[in-house]
Amino acid sequence: MPDTTTAPPTPKQGRVAAWWGPAVGLSGLGFYAATTVPEGAAGRQIFFNVAQPWAVYVFLAALIGLMVYGFVHHARLWGLGRPTPGILSEIPHRFRNAMRLGLVQEKVRRDRYAGIMHWCIFSSIVVLTFVTAQVAVEGDTPIKFLHGTYYLIFSFYGDLFGLIGLVGVAMAINRRYFQDFHRIRWDEKIEDSLIIVGLGLVLISGFFVEAARILVTELTQHPDWAPWSFVAYVIAQGLTGFHMSEPTVLSIHVWSWWFHIASAFSWLALIVFTRLDHLFFAPINAFFLRTDSPGRLTKIEDIEQQEIFGVGYVQDFTWKQLFELDACVRCGRCTEVCPANIAGQPLSPMHLIQDLKMHLADVGPDLQTHRHQFGDAGREVAGMAMVGDVIKDETLWACRTCGACMQECPVMIEHVPTIVDMRRFLVMNEARIPATAQAALENLEVRGHPWRGTSLERTTWMDGLEEVPIFDGSQEYLYWVGCSGSLVERNLPVTKAVFRLLRESGASFGVLGQEETCNGDPARRLGNEYLYQILAQQLVETFKAKNVQRVITNCPHCFNTFKNEYPQFDGHFEVLHHTEFLDGALKKGTLKATFPIAADVTYHDSCYLGRYNDQYDAPRQIIEMVPGANLVEMQRNFSKGLCCGAGGGNMWQEEVGERRVNHVRAEEAVRTGASQVISNCPFCIQMFEDGVPAVHPEEEGRMRPFDVAELLEASVFGPK
Amino acid sequence: MHIVVCAKQIPDPETPPSAFRIDAASNKVVPAQGIAPVLSQFDGIAAEAALRIKEANAGSKVTVISLGADSAAAAIKQVLAMGADEGVLLNDPAFEDGDSYTTAKTLAAAIKKLGDVDAVFCGRQAADWDMGQVGLLIAEELGWPVSIIAKGVTSGGAGLQVQRVLEDGYENVETPLPAVVTVSNEFGEPRYPKLPQIMAAAKKTVTQWKTEDLGLSAGEVGKAGSRLKLETLSLPPKGGAVELMPGDTPAEQAAALVAKLRADKIL
Repeated sequence: MPDTTTAPPTPKQGRVAAWWGPAVGLSGLGFYAATTVPEGAAGRQIFFNVAQPWAVYVFLAALIGLMVYGFVHHARLWGLGRPTPGILSEIPHRFRNAMRLGLVQEKVRRDRYAGIMHWCIFSSIVVLTFVTAQVAVEGDTPIKFLHGTYYLIFSFYGDLFGLIGLVGVAMAINRRYFQDFHRIRWDEKIEDSLIIVGLGLVLISGFFVEAARILVTELTQHPDWAPWSFVAYVIAQGLTGFHMSEPTVLSIHVWSWWFHIASAFSWLALIVFTRLDHLFFAPINAFFLRTDSPGRLTKIEDIEQQEIFGVGYVQDFTWKQLFELDACVRCGRCTEVCPANIAGQPLSPMHLIQDLKMHLADVGPDLQTHRHQFGDAGREVAGMAMVGDVIKDETLWACRTCGACMQECPVMIEHVPTIVDMRRFLVMNEARIPATAQAALENLEVRGHPWRGTSLERTTWMDGLEEVPIFDGSQEYLYWVGCSGSLVERNLPVTKAVFRLLRESGASFGVLGQEETCNGDPARRLGNEYLYQILAQQLVETFKAKNVQRVITNCPHCFNTFKNEYPQFDGHFEVLHHTEFLDGALKKGTLKATFPIAADVTYHDSCYLGRYNDQYDAPRQIIEMVPGANLVEMQRNFSKGLCCGAGGGNMWQEEVGERRVNHVRAEEAVRTGASQVISNCPFCIQMFEDGVPAVHPEEEGRMRPFDVAELLEASVFGPK
Repeated sequence: MHIVVCAKQIPDPETPPSAFRIDAASNKVVPAQGIAPVLSQFDGIAAEAALRIKEANAGSKVTVISLGADSAAAAIKQVLAMGADEGVLLNDPAFEDGDSYTTAKTLAAAIKKLGDVDAVFCGRQAADWDMGQVGLLIAEELGWPVSIIAKGVTSGGAGLQVQRVLEDGYENVETPLPAVVTVSNEFGEPRYPKLPQIMAAAKKTVTQWKTEDLGLSAGEVGKAGSRLKLETLSLPPKGGAVELMPGDTPAEQAAALVAKLRADKIL
């Protein structure tokens, strides 16, 4: 393959964060030094030149008090939510998440610049907290260790990480104020400047304290120690040029000490009042992150016994959903990758989370008293409805459930389940739903498929094929065609292709034909959980009655539902997407791609095969095994792939906004110069069939959309 | 105000043509396998019209009546889920294979039995046979005024204000109560039922009345009472032909097409 293929961004799992190497190692060295190095070696006077060093503890006590207050205040608001089922299951997995996503910050690194900047600031704060703690131990406990070689190393890494912190601050200032970087300014607040500038001042003043001390002590008394504090040393050298008297330097020292202490504690107090609280909330939210598949939406248990369906008021969220609102840092990564937002449609996941957070702060306190007095009966306390006023209906409908927001969120907020919860309220409780989506749901109820007005039958695709085996429990696989694969004209050739390839591979399989009904995915994503549960239960029973063990699906939505969601209904099946099966058959040699297809092709990752089920390779490997086919990647690919626009029930909705998502995506595909755009999903193909001609009106040389199976069929069987 | 909505369950109009079959011996449509019957969409719209009047007039009530077999209870439940209060199913083997006349006669007998009815709303026609007779014949049986093909109905004035669809616009009429109104698709889409109402509807019992409950005799209803006799029933012949327009350029082809359409008196 030519190197046009962009390597997938593969986060290295479990890699030890760079910062703890030095920090832990150096601390160990400190304890070694404490026991071995004799008194009188290198060292310094703790709280040099400061008359009231105990003031530090007053500040510390105030900070702790403030943090406790802040935490209780927040916790009372989170406490308004419902219980979060399963939040304490799989504790080891959760700890791994907290380490991997919280401490190691895998997601932060998905933006390289931000990753470096954040690592600089983060590691600096962690190491300098260690440094400060060691000073406190040395100064105010009987344990003495800050002397000798360790003191010198301590001085060195203290300065090093102070400098690293300043590099981080400079990068932050550069990005925010000089590059005017778009997404972090979408919801900018004054606190953002306070945080950056404040941290810069803390670090700089720290260096000045150190420099002034060195100037009157080490520089003259122990010139061989001084360079270990290399940043302060340079500053002190510079200060010698001013020929200040010792009392002047001492006065500079004491003033910068007070400034340093006051600014450091004030900055730490920002944790209570600003988004700096992500310091704690982000790793905790990583701990709370769902441990099962992100492709699985929450099941409403005992749905017929509920008094309210879905989430219409803040107190209907789980406390975890309320908690994660506080973790949001307004970085805008979610909104930047949101297909609706990219197309100028009325959804920004970041603003949605922020609006919910504000709403919770608005109504939360009233709600606490209210609930105390009246229980849960009167839900609404403010004149403003959360769903409808705070979060507009059209915002909820614009979501594709593509999961890009959750994939990018560095603090592990789960936007999609929250959006679907509010859709559930709209559909089931309020029956407020766009007319075309309503038609699809009604069709699902009445006809068991979402394709209103189709003139096809579930067996039409079999016309012209030799006998198609009906699944009777004796075959190994059930080939699940799905509604699109049988009822939408464009998708029939894909179904036929998969069928021919399955047969050619010698697989033992059968289909359900007329007995297929929708698995319920569109109903669930559109918010009609009740209808979904009815459809899912029926189908699980059908599968069990027919002794289905293994399923090959045409469509990644069916695939995701069977694989990730049916276990909620006690349906446990081994599920393969057709690309997975075909890739395996090619590798085993039961299928041979022999006829060359000389074409540049680009590949579009469907959200439900890619992001939700982490299957990026099988389809690409099939393309690579087709002789002549040359894969040209789009810029947004793999886990950063852009939705075709149809997900989350948007296949059946009128789009509201500047552009259509499929036009945006088709443009990206056309830009590769490939002659075919290959996908794995009937919806994606339909969206490209509509989108490509819209962005490339000339019929001549126009790119054509195909399924991976269609490409492979042409290579296995030759031209038709 | 007490409004009765007449709702009919019909074979799904979206049955794929390939699955639509006729039994020549009995002159009947064979129900397509695996395709469930549905509520005639015009009747859903009539229910919507009735429910809006109910919501605008406190203390109003909507009763839905259907003539059909056991399965027709589903159509009644659907209207109950939309917000209707009570349902009555006219279910008797004797009612089978009737025509518009016997259907209207049976429905009218049920409306009379209910007693306190102020208005009857029907769909403009059933979406299976498209006869458009039953609403008018109910009015005839009851001796009430009738306004057909309404795109709007509100309560007010002497009784109801009705916007009737005409070929080139619409007219506003006012009708005293009791009255019969048939509602057209121009009225708008029926509502999507809320889940709490679906569940409440599932718990409601549907009253079932037979011939004798309505004070009718077996000879007056169903096939026995019908005045319309079905001779034969057949599918329209399938087929099509393609004629390609001559011409070297799209403009010439277009000109040829227009000439052809004029010659065939289509334009």
